[in-house]
Amino acid sequence: MNILAVPLTRRQAFKAMLGIGSTVASVVLPKSAAASTEEHPAHPVAAPDAVAMLYDSTICTGCKACMPACNEANGLPADTLLSGGIWDMPTGLNAQTKNIIELYQDPKSDEFAFVKKQCMHCLDPACVTGCPFGSLKKVDFGAVTWNSSLCIGCRYCEVACPFEVPQFEWQALNPKIVKCEFCYDQRLKENLEPACTAACPTGAVIFGKRDALLDQAKGRIAAVPDKYYENRVYGEHEAGGTQVLYLSSVSFQKIGLPKLGPTSLGHYATKVTSVIYKWLGGPVLMAGVLGLFIRRNWNRHEAERLLHEKETGFPDQL
Amino acid sequence: MNSPAMSSPDLTPTLASSDKRGTTLINHWQAGVPVTTGPVLTPLLAGLIALAAIGFVMAAIRVVSPLGPFSAMNSVYAWGIWKTFNVMTLTALGSGPLALGMAAWVFNRQKLHVVMRTALVSGFLFYATGLIALGFDVGRPWNFYSALMPWRWNTESAMLEISICMPLYCAVFLSFEILPLFLERLYYTGNEKSRAFLRHVSPRIRKMYPFVIIGAYVIPLMHQSSLGGLLLLAGDKINPLWQSPAMPWLYLVAAALCGFAFTIFLLLIVCLRYGRKLDGGVLSELANLLSGMCFFFLAIRAIDLIWRGQIHAAFAFNKMSLLFLLETSLILIPAVALRFRRVRQTPRTLLNMSALACVGGMLYRFIPTSIAYSPMRSTSYFPSVPELVMAVGYISLGIVAFIFAVNYFAVLPGEASCWDHAFRPFGWKRRTAAPTEMPLMPATALERGV
Repeated sequence: MNILAVPLTRRQAFKAMLGIGSTVASVVLPKSAAASTEEHPAHPVAAPDAVAMLYDSTICTGCKACMPACNEANGLPADTLLSGGIWDMPTGLNAQTKNIIELYQDPKSDEFAFVKKQCMHCLDPACVTGCPFGSLKKVDFGAVTWNSSLCIGCRYCEVACPFEVPQFEWQALNPKIVKCEFCYDQRLKENLEPACTAACPTGAVIFGKRDALLDQAKGRIAAVPDKYYENRVYGEHEAGGTQVLYLSSVSFQKIGLPKLGPTSLGHYATKVTSVIYKWLGGPVLMAGVLGLFIRRNWNRHEAERLLHEKETGFPDQL
Repeated sequence: MNSPAMSSPDLTPTLASSDKRGTTLINHWQAGVPVTTGPVLTPLLAGLIALAAIGFVMAAIRVVSPLGPFSAMNSVYAWGIWKTFNVMTLTALGSGPLALGMAAWVFNRQKLHVVMRTALVSGFLFYATGLIALGFDVGRPWNFYSALMPWRWNTESAMLEISICMPLYCAVFLSFEILPLFLERLYYTGNEKSRAFLRHVSPRIRKMYPFVIIGAYVIPLMHQSSLGGLLLLAGDKINPLWQSPAMPWLYLVAAALCGFAFTIFLLLIVCLRYGRKLDGGVLSELANLLSGMCFFFLAIRAIDLIWRGQIHAAFAFNKMSLLFLLETSLILIPAVALRFRRVRQTPRTLLNMSALACVGGMLYRFIPTSIAYSPMRSTSYFPSVPELVMAVGYISLGIVAFIFAVNYFAVLPGEASCWDHAFRPFGWKRRTAAPTEMPLMPATALERGV
């Protein structure tokens, strides 16, 4: 059917032009906007001021000096549940523990390794991508921080985090999300290094610029080839890269670091939706298309309705 | 809404219009008709009210209790059944208004208008109870006022989309769509003043209607797919059989599938309960659409699995593979069976097949949130008793509200001839409606065209 052959009133033609125009605009406008900057690149680049921690599992002696230092800096109570109220003895990251030294021991061989767990401060954090009202934010130096006045307690960050870092205060009526914030408010702002790296007596965990620490870690690998697992730094590319870097002589998976691809989760989750929802283009386009069909069918229905009501004497119900 | 002309007592029974495809003889469903006979408060309803009450007592305790001692959730399994079942799974069943509305208004399946009210009321109740569940689930609900401040929105978060669109959809769009039920009741039970008011507003509602329903379809299209989008961020925690970039699309199609399936199921169950005649034409139209949706879902699922090279995992016959096969066969069986006219036209098989499709769709929506969700830390989650009691309470509340709705409002489809203007009065004293002057015409007489 030739569309030009359909008789249109001036008003109808104007409406159709408006509809087509807005449809085209909603398709064209977001494309140009999306092309400018990608918010979640597959392989994010660290910001120039990004700081980092480098943890070398082969140096760590498991003295746990970093744990009370962390508790003190963050005002956290000691987790004394297991020790009968005597000393700090958490079994993992929890609502009172932002930083922990865990021990991996192979039951058969004598292979063992310590591992320090805290927030990885990803370059493109999944928790920040998922947080609905921006309570979790990546701030200066790349620290991922939590803002109590924006959090609704949906716990999406816990679902999203591949390292299972954020901890919800299950026992509190005013629950907070507890996670390492790189001592951002406590120390980083005042040009101090985080409490854990400052407390470490052996230099197993050190603080610095991310690119400098990455170079240093690669230098250690090059100096003693085959000392380190897979001769690589964990955190360089994992989940798009993290700001906590690990060196270990045993498998990363054995010490509890998940095997992750090099693509950031934020990129995976938003690469389609960020295009669809840019300036609400997709929904507006959808509304336009649905509106055209609904309008047409509504008019048909109205015409039939009057006929039907006259025929049967029974009114139409919405 | 009924026009004022209809308040006259000399209502002539409507002649059944013949079905043009000739599969059934009679359209029994011509209008929404309230249930006016029989007791409202049955033992079943009393039991459901008790369950809902227990649920709400627990909810009240939850207000003054932290989540920890109350639920079995932990930081590894941070989402319990309130989110994964009451919201992510049951709102799929509540997608009837989306699925049927799109079919009726966008794809011009005019036959389905008569069952829209049943779908709308059930959908509204699924959403409302899901939102109540969410309200007691979130840890810091007092910060939710941020939803009104767009500058605080993290627009790339699927959670934001859901936390804004779901309440908006339920409170504005679904409420608008079920408004005619209330106005119609007011028209027949109210006084002259209220009738005058309704004569004034109802044309305006009719004017607004085609514009509002655009939002009523766009918004659930957005948030039903965002429910799948939520799980994308969980990444490798979800078994690769389910974790896929197609998840938002699959969640949406599963919602439409469950919406059709549950509406058929509900119509059959409720018409059986209240002795309503069934309408083969409408039901087989719905069954056709359900079958199509099932095939569409399975096609996307198959293409997605082949595309990602995971098809071998589907037939590994381990736990996850068996779950996948169960879920797929629960959708495949109704898809194939409902292709046969005999199956579509037999109420019993139609009921069975729609129930299977409901369970299959629900399984797809539920599995990636909990069963196939396996983080590396070796904790486990099974809902605690208070969690289960509250979840059951929300569902009971929905059923109670639905039973009241069909008894007091013109929700259920029925023959126009059984419309007697006698809405059941509110209040407990009179258990049945007053007898009407007009004797009800038996449906068999209608079929003979008397």
